[in-house]
Amino acid sequence: MVVKQHNNYALDCQKVSHWFGATKVLYDLNLKVRAGQFVSLIGPSGCGKSTFLRSILGTHPPNQGKILTMQNGSLITADRPGRDRGIVFQKYSLYPFLTALDNVALGLKLDQTSSLFRIFNWSGWAKKRKVFRDRAAVFLEKVGLGNAINMYPDQMSGGMQQRVAIAQALIMEPEIILLDEPFGALDEATREELQEMLLQLYQENQEALSKNKKPPYTLIIVTHELNEAIRVGDRLIGLSQYWDWKKSGFDVSPGATVVYDREAPIFKPNERPNYESFDIIRKDIRKYVYNPDILQSRNDHLVNDLV
Amino acid sequence: MIGRPISRIKRVVLSALSVLLLLLSYTWISHRQHQINPQDTTIPSWGQLAEGAKKFTQPDRKGHRWLIEDSIATGKRLAAGISLGIIFGFLIGMFMGCIASVEAFLQPPISLLAKVPQTAALAVYFVFFGTGMKMYVAMIAFGVIPALAVTVYLAIKDIPSEMLDKAYTLGASHFETAYEVVFKQVLPKFIDAVRLCIGPAIVFLIAAEMVVGDVGFGYRIRLQFKLTNMNVVYPYLVFLAGFGYLLDYGLRFLQSKICPWYQNDSK
Repeated sequence: MVVKQHNNYALDCQKVSHWFGATKVLYDLNLKVRAGQFVSLIGPSGCGKSTFLRSILGTHPPNQGKILTMQNGSLITADRPGRDRGIVFQKYSLYPFLTALDNVALGLKLDQTSSLFRIFNWSGWAKKRKVFRDRAAVFLEKVGLGNAINMYPDQMSGGMQQRVAIAQALIMEPEIILLDEPFGALDEATREELQEMLLQLYQENQEALSKNKKPPYTLIIVTHELNEAIRVGDRLIGLSQYWDWKKSGFDVSPGATVVYDREAPIFKPNERPNYESFDIIRKDIRKYVYNPDILQSRNDHLVNDLV
Repeated sequence: MIGRPISRIKRVVLSALSVLLLLLSYTWISHRQHQINPQDTTIPSWGQLAEGAKKFTQPDRKGHRWLIEDSIATGKRLAAGISLGIIFGFLIGMFMGCIASVEAFLQPPISLLAKVPQTAALAVYFVFFGTGMKMYVAMIAFGVIPALAVTVYLAIKDIPSEMLDKAYTLGASHFETAYEVVFKQVLPKFIDAVRLCIGPAIVFLIAAEMVVGDVGFGYRIRLQFKLTNMNVVYPYLVFLAGFGYLLDYGLRFLQSKICPWYQNDSK
């Protein structure tokens, strides 16, 4: 299957380094993500995947280097969270005091109306509110929760909550959606259902590209589950602190960096992958990303920019 | 067995039984007391209690209806004091929870104030605010503000940072984050805190009324106690209990109406 690519970048990380005091986390990390790509971010625990994701989100801007995201049509430094980036956390993504519908509609409300408008223009707000909620219902339908719109998060299962959280992010039509181990707390079957839901979005991307339109969804998903990374992503990025930094002149580890960047096989939503066929890729990843004894020097990193 | 639920009928019967037992034992104790001393007023009989009821519901020689005047006086003081306390307690807590410099600035005085026993500080309020309405309001307000502010502040600290970051990705302004996310999340816990602070507020008020009041529940109870008119004192205590219960019930009802999502364990 030929993967079509879009020309625009959604994310451009340039020489990103990050540290907390003496603890070095990220070192000279470069990454460009095209609109429509589904990037799986993998790496050993403690390698800084979540820190990197939060840097992109803007809550922890990098100490060095630049992170540019697409904002109003051009790549701009992302130094605080903004409506151009959506986020789905493992938990606490939903507001417990809102129903599924209102959780999804909240973004439209906050983004498209102001507090003053809602207070002083009652009838105008009532009309808009209905429009927003109708649209939220469409998105809940899209993630398969058409019949749970009036449930509070506490009444929903973990899988349902994550579906709502994804709808909540999708409705904003952000340039890039960040998912931080979104299915980490779910059981295997639910996990696979949600992976299929993401693949549905990927298919919409492919359809848009074949009509020469901009693909609507760009994703970075952090996961520790390699099968999930390979199945959902069309690109695998391995972040690791295990590389030969001594050869680059460091006495102590300067932090994790991108050591692996490969295309991943593409799956259709209803296509059950043969996980045994993932073996070769998994072995490759284990060797270059996870193994502390196999150290590549900076120049040998399996990085192609997929331009 | 521990924790095994019982049927509804059993529950109702047992509740009724406890009330009945209470009334019966009172009747018995009062009866015994009157056998020893027929003139006794410390444990009034039901007949004496009815006389007392007449005393505080009918106009006295000067035309005052005690119960009505006391209720109005005490109610006004409590309402004004609590309202002021709620408003300021909430605002201070919100600012402390949302803005780190306000937190650093206000934390020492608030935590100190919270430890001052209000009834012991009565003298201070008399000096600063006299013995009128102003004093009652100030005393109640200052009495409840620290507890309310700390509750709101801690509730805000409890909100996972993910929820705040998320709000910004949904296009919220700072004010919207404070109102749409923080306020709405804190509201039920705040109502719980208000419920809990009404008890202490009534204690402060009654104590102050006992010392300097010329009308009100505290004043009446002290006066009638001096005359050992317990047939007035006991009903007044029942009124206070009933009033406190109604207020608590009202707040719980309000909470369940405006925060249906909140699972309240303290019911």
